[in-house]
Amino acid sequence: MEAITGQELIRAVALLGAGIAMGLGAIGPGIGEGFVAGKACEALGKRPDQSQLITRTMIIGQAISETTGIYSLIVALILIFVV
Amino acid sequence: METITLFSILAAGLAIGLGSIGSAIGEGFIAMKAVEALGRQPNASGKLIRVMIVGQAVTEAAAIFALVVSLILVFYTPEAGESIYKGYYLLSAGLAIGLGTIGAGLGGGLPGGSCMEGIGRQPENSDILTIQMIVGQAVTQTSSIFALTVSLILLSIDPSNDIVKVFAVVGGGLAMGLGAIGPGIGDGLVAKNANLAVGKNPRQMGLLTRTMVIGQAITETTDIYSLVVSLILIFVV
Repeated sequence: MEAITGQELIRAVALLGAGIAMGLGAIGPGIGEGFVAGKACEALGKRPDQSQLITRTMIIGQAISETTGIYSLIVALILIFVV
Repeated sequence: METITLFSILAAGLAIGLGSIGSAIGEGFIAMKAVEALGRQPNASGKLIRVMIVGQAVTEAAAIFALVVSLILVFYTPEAGESIYKGYYLLSAGLAIGLGTIGAGLGGGLPGGSCMEGIGRQPENSDILTIQMIVGQAVTQTSSIFALTVSLILLSIDPSNDIVKVFAVVGGGLAMGLGAIGPGIGDGLVAKNANLAVGKNPRQMGLLTRTMVIGQAITETTDIYSLVVSLILIFVV
């Protein structure tokens, strides 16, 4: 393997970092959104008549949980295309 | 050439070693709940054991994906004069499938466990609970299918001679592998609670299945981000 230095090294590590950023960053939102939807299903089982309210709240809650996943995506894309 | 074989053996171990964590815990969870339910309803033992085996079989899918990739890696024979960088592609493929199946395995076990709980409480609901469980588990497996896709792509493409590109490919494998853990567990949590709710209120199954699938689809979005980033790192960079 040839030596890798300077600008190339920065680029290589930035790309590796992009993968790690997106990978680790997706763990939290995935579990968090699952919690939201799971509890929404539980609530629906008890109060099916409130389905609209529960579904709406579930989607808002998931959208907010999703934000950190989007941060990871943005950071990953910056590392890939800008750095 | 020996170096590539070294990498392929290491990647094979990582693929099946990491890849069996999730399924093993998930299946154990189903069996645990089945035993608990048997203690409450010994008369329903036939139904419980049958549904337990179906649930465990679906949960096993994640580990089977890892096994397939691991076997491909074990028997990988490098072509003469193949670039040494192919080794990193193989390592990345092993990491993608190994890490990527942890979530789907764990997630598949959760709805199976709550299905057992529901049957233990009311054995007459076993048919609809089984259907609900299989739908939930099938959606949960998407994260491991994404990981399998990325892994097979990495196994089959020709290596680049650019060292920067090699770093990008290892990053792509890690992005997909790690990124599939969370959504896999999250999908399982959704299906688990939906299954519990169906067990308590079987008449609302339509509404609950619909909400479950919507909830799982939203949970899956981060997984899709990971897939996109992974494919960009593999093909575009």
